[in-house]
Amino acid sequence: MADDQSQTDESGEAQTDGGTGIVPPDDETPTWSERKERRQGLSRLTYEYFERSRREDQDLRQESSYVERDVLAFPTWPHEMIRNLSLTSFFVGMIVFLSATLPPHLGPPADPSSTPAIILPDWYLYWSFGLLKLGPLNPELAILGGEKLFADRTYGVLANVVVVGFIAIVPFLNKGSARRPVEQPFWASVGVSGVVFAFTISVLSVKNIISDLIDPHLLFDLTFLLPIVAGAVSYAVLKSMQEGYMYDLNRRYYRLRPPK
Amino acid sequence: MADEFIKGLGILTGGGLLWMVLSGWYTTPGFEDTQLVGEIPEGLGAYGEAAIALRAGLFWFIILGVLTFWVLIPAFKQLREAST
Repeated sequence: MADDQSQTDESGEAQTDGGTGIVPPDDETPTWSERKERRQGLSRLTYEYFERSRREDQDLRQESSYVERDVLAFPTWPHEMIRNLSLTSFFVGMIVFLSATLPPHLGPPADPSSTPAIILPDWYLYWSFGLLKLGPLNPELAILGGEKLFADRTYGVLANVVVVGFIAIVPFLNKGSARRPVEQPFWASVGVSGVVFAFTISVLSVKNIISDLIDPHLLFDLTFLLPIVAGAVSYAVLKSMQEGYMYDLNRRYYRLRPPK
Repeated sequence: MADEFIKGLGILTGGGLLWMVLSGWYTTPGFEDTQLVGEIPEGLGAYGEAAIALRAGLFWFIILGVLTFWVLIPAFKQLREAST
């Protein structure tokens, strides 16, 4: 409408949304010829997925009567508090229910005079326990006459320092501006290989228990090969998905609108 | 669609919780033995038999409920949308 062209807000900036607050598609929206280029395979599928979610979001915004405000959140009291109390009540009730209906098993007291046949930490520390079993990676140095620089146990403890150090450094190398893995395939694949390594090193920690399922030497090799393979596969998949994913459009679309 | 999803999820989690409690009471011989899916013991009283029946009923309620709300109803909706 011609009226819309002449309207301005307080700052004198042209107001083109008709007062609705709905942001129309701009010049970052792909043209029809650009859309038709993504015609096959995974890039087509990815494109259709993101285009469909974008379109659904646009339709929802257009049909909603929601008025955009300067407020970016709800007040702590009562809104957030009521929600948090209901969530807390649910989980406390679930704990009470489970502890009443399925009380935990109390085993016999531990015998301090005998060592169990199988010694394991809790399952979530298997990765660290597995790092203590990296003896074959500890090099025998010719300069020391075939001696090892560290004992295997020292080497295993230092491996923990390396892994924890790498996890601590990653946030400084990558600031995490990507909203989803397809935006940064390399870092996503680093994450995938890290998760897979956490699993394989955990399996390595119980190699003496599962030695009849898989040969320990094969397991040792797979521990380091599988993360690389998984990382490479996820990198290839994400990279090919990126063709159909309009990075700039989605980055702009999902950016939080700053308060006026 | 979201309504159907939460109905199926509610059936799965709520029914599964009750099934887990009954299985923990009746078909768990021991902590370091078979858990939840052990043999149904002999010589249960009336309450025990009722609980075993309820457990079997919950099992099929979960399967059929999830199938209904996650597969059948959405499929019928898709079919109806496609035919109109």
